[in-house]
Amino acid sequence: MTFRSKLFLNFMIALLLAVGLVAAGVTVVTRRVFDQMNAEHTDAMVAQFQREFERRGQDVAHRVKAIAEEEATTRMAVDLSRPNADVSVYVHDARGVSSSHQLDFLDFVGNDGAIISSEEYPARFGYKLTWVTQPDDWAMRGAFLMKVETDQGPALGLMAVSTVRVGDRDLYVVGGERLGKEFLESLVLPADMRALLYLNLDPDFQEVNLIDKKGPAADADRFQPLVQKIEGDPVEQTERISWGFDPSNSEVFHALPLPGRQKELLGVLFVGSSQGEVVSLERRIRWLALGVGAVGLLLGLLLSWWGAARVTRPVQKLVTASREVSQGNWNARVDVRGSDEIGQLAKSFNQMTSQLVEQRERLVQVERVAAWRELARRLAHELKNPLFPLQTTVENLQRAREQNSGQFDEVFRESTGIMLSEIENLKAIVSRFSDFAKMPQPELAPVNLNEIVRNVVKLFEPQFGAVGRPPITPELHLEENLPIIQADATLLHRAIENLILNAMDAMPAGGVLMLRTQTIGGGVSLEVSDTGTGLTPEESERIFTPYYTSKQHGSGLGLAIVQAIVADHGGRISVESESGVGTSFHIELPASHPHKPQVFPMVFEKKEVEV
Amino acid sequence: MLRRLAATSLAIVFLLVALPARTARRPQYGGTLRVEIGAAVASLDPGVSTITPDQAFAKSQIDSLIYESRDPDGSFNGDVGSGPFKILSWQPGKQLTLQANEKFRDGRSFVDSVEITMGRSLRDRLLDLELNKSDLTGIPAQEARHAAESGVRVSQSQPDELLALVFLDDRPAINKTRAREIIGQAVSLSIDRAAVVNFLLQKVGEPTGALLPQWSSGTSFLFSTAGDVPRAKELWSQITPSPNIVLGYDSADALEQSVAERIVVNAKEAGISMTAVANPANKSPKLDARLVRLPMLSPNPANALNEILQNFSSLAGSALIPSTLPESSSPEDIYKREREALGSYRIVPLVWLPQVYGLSARVRNWTAPAPGQAWPLADVWLDTNDKSSDLKD
Repeated sequence: MTFRSKLFLNFMIALLLAVGLVAAGVTVVTRRVFDQMNAEHTDAMVAQFQREFERRGQDVAHRVKAIAEEEATTRMAVDLSRPNADVSVYVHDARGVSSSHQLDFLDFVGNDGAIISSEEYPARFGYKLTWVTQPDDWAMRGAFLMKVETDQGPALGLMAVSTVRVGDRDLYVVGGERLGKEFLESLVLPADMRALLYLNLDPDFQEVNLIDKKGPAADADRFQPLVQKIEGDPVEQTERISWGFDPSNSEVFHALPLPGRQKELLGVLFVGSSQGEVVSLERRIRWLALGVGAVGLLLGLLLSWWGAARVTRPVQKLVTASREVSQGNWNARVDVRGSDEIGQLAKSFNQMTSQLVEQRERLVQVERVAAWRELARRLAHELKNPLFPLQTTVENLQRAREQNSGQFDEVFRESTGIMLSEIENLKAIVSRFSDFAKMPQPELAPVNLNEIVRNVVKLFEPQFGAVGRPPITPELHLEENLPIIQADATLLHRAIENLILNAMDAMPAGGVLMLRTQTIGGGVSLEVSDTGTGLTPEESERIFTPYYTSKQHGSGLGLAIVQAIVADHGGRISVESESGVGTSFHIELPASHPHKPQVFPMVFEKKEVEV
Repeated sequence: MLRRLAATSLAIVFLLVALPARTARRPQYGGTLRVEIGAAVASLDPGVSTITPDQAFAKSQIDSLIYESRDPDGSFNGDVGSGPFKILSWQPGKQLTLQANEKFRDGRSFVDSVEITMGRSLRDRLLDLELNKSDLTGIPAQEARHAAESGVRVSQSQPDELLALVFLDDRPAINKTRAREIIGQAVSLSIDRAAVVNFLLQKVGEPTGALLPQWSSGTSFLFSTAGDVPRAKELWSQITPSPNIVLGYDSADALEQSVAERIVVNAKEAGISMTAVANPANKSPKLDARLVRLPMLSPNPANALNEILQNFSSLAGSALIPSTLPESSSPEDIYKREREALGSYRIVPLVWLPQVYGLSARVRNWTAPAPGQAWPLADVWLDTNDKSSDLKD
């Protein structure tokens, strides 16, 4: 991944994070606002319910008091205060009175608590309502919730009690309104809200006891956990109920416990707020945020791309220049303006390459001088050997001429023979140097390295076991199915030949010569190892230097030629050696060599040289 | 002293002269007796059956006015018009006008005609009585006290209609004989009969635990009517699992409805699970028990008991008593038979009800009919001279 891509990716990630954070923030804030609005709506509803509840309670208390203050009730109280009063004549009175005062429940209760007449449960006359006779200031209490027994089963009533006292006897008027769907109908609700009432009249949760303004509510079982929670902890609770997978089909219910006279839970009012509009609005906001985010992202994408390009352009120039430098163009320069870090880096780079060029030139000069010196030394050394016999021969020839010896002809003949022989030596030396100077460029063709190795080894087999010298055992570890490479078979043959000769020279006492080929990533490798005397680290450093040799004889060009051939094939050669153990040469050759062979550097600062 | 004696003598003379003059008023012929009934009789044809008991009763009363005599099996003899009255006009379901039969074998009726208006509601009938637009009408027992307090002249018969609870033979909630008895006893003990009479019937009728009224058998008081809620609870606790008793009542009968609701309240107080359901005549929901009203069809206690037991057997679904009592059975035999019939608690007698009639002030010589007897309209005469209502029967 390029630096620009990384930079662009970082920009994008940062942008995405920023957009995501903003979107999340908007969502959270929006939800909070909606929740707050919902809570305000619910609070308003609860307040409305409480006002309505209070108003109705006052109304009920007023109507019950009005009944108690009626003349007929007073007459009843007076009549019932007499000894042996006949209460049966009043058994049907509650029905008419309750109807005229629009009460759902009405009981006339005697001084002993026995029901004289009951509207909601006419057949219950004679039975006692003991709670009525318990000490209580009914006039001050006002209305309260109560579970009322009726002939249709228990009901929830908003009740009030009023007393008519005659002498020391009381007549209790117990009246009230049914708290049911009519009450829910009276609540004015916004379109997205509804109210439900659970009548906690049975020991266990009963679905039919949950009503809305139309009657029994649907899916009442979903409210059971909330009712049970409130039964355990009778405080206001809020819970969301989902009616499907779509969040817009959910409602948030605020549950208000309705306690009775003795704080027992008699009912639960549910104020439900549909989340449809909220969810819809949230969705619109979310889509809007997504749209803005997408546009922002697109804009950010373009800006990031432009910014990354702007930032990385000098870096790219630096990379290009570095690559040129690595390819040998030490004159590469970076054209970067500005005084920022990149500008300073470019200036440093330019300065560095200038220094490198200067150093290289100096080094080349030094190396060139050194090479010439080495060449001169080798030439001197090589030429000195034949020159000395030539000089001696010429001096002998001169001495024989001066002595006018009769043996001059014989001396002359011997001397000229020696001189010609030495001149041949000089020509051979010159020829070798000439050959090195004229190393040909490889002619690439499909080549099987194993085949070349086998041919070379076969060529040397007579010498490995030659009489008079310790035997050398060749070991071939050639990988089957070695890939065909593009190479010059003649040059590779020559390189391997030189390596084997070098190994044979390193094993004067015999040993094992091991050749191994194998496939490596994108090419092949060849390892030539001997069990010879090995090299010192210094020798390993300079082993590939032309005209350098660690031997008493030899031109010092063999391994230099090997290195030159490997380099011309785009490969690389390295040497590993341990004194007294042996030496291994590793050659790696690419399967194909598309690039032009490079000039092999003349200075090796490492054992392993990559070309 | 003489003055006081003289005053007393004058008072005695006044009473001796004036009172006979008022009470010994001679019967008068003529006039139209206006009768209003609630039932609407659609046909007077003997072959056409009636739908409701009220219609059957009304048709029977009409037949007794237009036929000469009646056999013990209930069928009427003679032609239409051979009775004390002849049909003058007939509007089916609305009005029947009868004219006095001059040739009736037992003599001409006092009134010239009888005008029977049918299908009148109780409220209209009572209003017509108060407004003197009607002379005679039947009043539900539970309304008798209220009618009397409203100024209506009320006439009551001896209690001759039994209101009872019958456990049906194919009741689904109870399927074991012993359990049936325990449940029946528990329900019987849970019921406050006195409250039914005092409150629902407004003290008209008598609470009973017997199959015959006290005036008929003389032994009714031996059957306890007292409730015993603790004992009822104890008995009910022996039934496991506890069934829910479904009690049916005639949805058209206000008295049955109120009594059924009260029984449910009493049962609930004793821990007995019971539900009252309206049981219209044309529907037959699965019931465990039902409230029934059975009229006493004979003044003879043995015959009346036989008929009552027969009716109960047909209602319950199986015979309560295999044999019938002879007409001349002794009170001991009748008592024994009652005990035997009630021992299984399949019948729980509640109240004996009288027949109650509202009369206008001009109606004279009215006697509430005995069980099985027809309205004595032929004996009634109208006091056209005295329209005051100071005479009460």
